[in-house]
Amino acid sequence: MTDINVTDFLLTAIINYGALAFGVALVLGALGVPVPGTLAVIAVGGFVRQGVIDWPSAATFGLTGAVLGDSLSYGLGRFAGDWVERRLGQSSVWQNAQTTFNRRGGAAIYLTRWLLTPIALPINLIAGGSRYPFWRFLIYDLSGEATWIVLFGGLGYAFGSQWELINQFISDFSGLLVGIVIFAGGIYGLFRYRRHKAASARREAVAPRG
Amino acid sequence: MAVKKSNSKFVTTERLIFISLLVVGLLLIGFFGLRAVGSYIRIQQTGLEPGVTDVEAIRGWMTIPYIAQAYQVPESFIFEQLNIPAEGNRKKSLRDLNREQTAGNPGALTEAVKTAIRRYQAEHSATPGGDP
Repeated sequence: MTDINVTDFLLTAIINYGALAFGVALVLGALGVPVPGTLAVIAVGGFVRQGVIDWPSAATFGLTGAVLGDSLSYGLGRFAGDWVERRLGQSSVWQNAQTTFNRRGGAAIYLTRWLLTPIALPINLIAGGSRYPFWRFLIYDLSGEATWIVLFGGLGYAFGSQWELINQFISDFSGLLVGIVIFAGGIYGLFRYRRHKAASARREAVAPRG
Repeated sequence: MAVKKSNSKFVTTERLIFISLLVVGLLLIGFFGLRAVGSYIRIQQTGLEPGVTDVEAIRGWMTIPYIAQAYQVPESFIFEQLNIPAEGNRKKSLRDLNREQTAGNPGALTEAVKTAIRRYQAEHSATPGGDP
């Protein structure tokens, strides 16, 4: 099935079965099934404006579906994390990664729900795998998914029958943001690498020889 | 000595990963940046008219009841014009209906739906561009 067919199938299912189909689509999307989640949210905004779906059920099913899917993928990460822990638990790199995620994971979880959506699934898996507390994950997840649904659903509502126009722009803009984040990660990494190398060189110069 | 060698190999790998991130990031920025600018220009040129229900916006994923609601045309009128029964066809997309009803003539049913809507709008002097 091509991507276009998946999209068509999804949209037909939403107009036929309403908010329930929307919620199921978001569960599947959060589990890594290639379902165009952001497109669904924008389209549902447009459908609400056209009177095809009512907004309270769309918001309830959408939010429940997205959070349920994220929680399940968090669980998968936790399950896989036990396996990784048994093998790499003593590794300092793994311990550092866990500590860093525990310290700064909240922002990553929140932003990947609505702004950097292409990397939401890896973040869920990392959160589960690094044993990030579930209740904290849930709070950031709920806030991020609510932002996603209100913001993009609102855009779909604003564009009404022309919601398809905004979808392409948002999809491209999201890809651009992911590119910027990866690029910034590379810059930050190289900067730290150079600093670390300079510090090692200084230590070697100071340390007594022999 | 062996430890130092493996450490230096690790450091080189680390550096390679960061440089790869820079390259991948730049490629994504270039690719999606150009596409985003293109999409933005298209939106600007089209203009935002949320209530417009132009028949050219009819797509294969739409169903007859959805089109009827969006274009404010009675569902029964569209089915009548298409000469197909509503029963058993209400949940089918235009793409599926087209495949079943007009084998070998792709898009014929979609065109018939557009014609039906235009006819209804003309008969009932609907204001083109009005809110659905």
